[in-house]
Amino acid sequence: MQLGFLVDLHLCMGCKGCEIACKVENEVPLSTWRLRVKYVDVGTFPETKRTFTPLRCNHCENAPCERICPVSALHYLENGIVNIDKERCIGCAGCVMACPYGAIYIDPQTQTADKCTYCAHRVASSMMPACVVACPVQANIFGDLEDPTSNISKYIQVHQGGVQVRKPEKGTNPHHYYVGGGNVTLNPLASERVDGHSLFNNITTLPVGGHH
Amino acid sequence: MAHEILAATHAVVTLDAALPGIVWPWLVTVNMWAKSIGTGVIFMLFLLLRMYPQQVEKLRLPATIAAFVFINIFLLFTLADLHQPFRMWHIFVYSHWNSAIAVGSFMASGFLGLLTLLGYLAFKKNNETFDKVLLWTTILAIPVTLYTASLMAQCTARELWQMPAESAQMILAALLAGSAFMLLLGGNKLSDEAKNTLGVVLGLSALMAFIIYMSEYIFGPMKAEEIAATIGYIKGDGPYAVMFWLGQWMTYILPMLFVVLSRVSKSDAILKLAAILALVGLAIVKHVWLMIPQLLPMS
Repeated sequence: MQLGFLVDLHLCMGCKGCEIACKVENEVPLSTWRLRVKYVDVGTFPETKRTFTPLRCNHCENAPCERICPVSALHYLENGIVNIDKERCIGCAGCVMACPYGAIYIDPQTQTADKCTYCAHRVASSMMPACVVACPVQANIFGDLEDPTSNISKYIQVHQGGVQVRKPEKGTNPHHYYVGGGNVTLNPLASERVDGHSLFNNITTLPVGGHH
Repeated sequence: MAHEILAATHAVVTLDAALPGIVWPWLVTVNMWAKSIGTGVIFMLFLLLRMYPQQVEKLRLPATIAAFVFINIFLLFTLADLHQPFRMWHIFVYSHWNSAIAVGSFMASGFLGLLTLLGYLAFKKNNETFDKVLLWTTILAIPVTLYTASLMAQCTARELWQMPAESAQMILAALLAGSAFMLLLGGNKLSDEAKNTLGVVLGLSALMAFIIYMSEYIFGPMKAEEIAATIGYIKGDGPYAVMFWLGQWMTYILPMLFVVLSRVSKSDAILKLAAILALVGLAIVKHVWLMIPQLLPMS
């Protein structure tokens, strides 16, 4: 079994339901996110449009976080999930530095690394991840990539030409796919981040785990 | 390249979570700086004992103590940088051998053990055994110096830190810091010949490190857009651009000039000034190179 995720960005409408469901399910502390939806505005007025991109751990087959972790706190489960043992983590932040997707953070409460686990605890009980359940348009598709009859495998077969991963040049072989993505949505260097130029808030950076 | 797409699309992130700031702070800079001195002093002690055994007789104990102190500073700051420092022992119990951090921890611990033994032997004036143990300590000092480069190379997210360049920079930093520190530590105990040798090591390691930095500065951005974006932080007018050039002048350019000047004018004072500048500047250079890849958004 090789579990994977696919997000159809054509369907995503940026409601952040997945983000909130994840926060609640996993008791993710304030100021940190296991899953978040990034808004990018493209074009110049009046020809503009807004894109939405849910971002989470990519559960790479060749995960840099697993490789760099000195105590194997980050480890593979048999179903392909890259899981984390917070009791073992020493908080060296090597994984945070290694992850090319910015998917790992230092939990300010436990002072250990944390990230999306594809809701491994729910999966173990044959339930779907919380974000999949919450999505009102079924933009999040989750399942076994090795099972040709699974929803995700079928979706990939139908959209073969349009399936993308983030930063393929890193050689991490992510098990998280996007349909309908482009450079603007998947490449962080293809969009500007202007301090203070943000809807609802003007926070752009936070101290890591509030420790240093 | 992404900047061309950006020019065409005018894409702006209008809503995102607060991104984490600097993940590895100045504590890691001190870690690398102190390790360079700790291993570099051992390299230089080994070199001087081979070339000028009579003159360096009295430097065995002070040089070993200096290396011991700086390696302990390195270990202390490594520990301080952990968010769960009391779980440090997990590294030795749940070791993950693919991780440069785990392998490096074992090597650094072994190195500290050998330094302790060297200190004891130097105190007891058992020079014959000291020299034998120093050989193995010097050999171990090489991977201890290099493992930080492996660790940086394992940071897949930080394109700037490429293994071949970082390995060379780590060794050159150790040679530079070691020669500079020994010039200050040796003082009048060293002959002019020994000082000249240390000056040559200082000048050449500064020259080679400077060439590598300039190569990355000029040619790095031509290879990868992430490197171009990272180097952008030291090409603009920001604080890291100032720090970068201050570091390059203090650590490499001025010490190179002062080494040459000291040989021409036979001035110890100028050589010592070169050593002090190199030691102080090295911390600045290391800090800038540690910080700028962390400024890039990853997602």
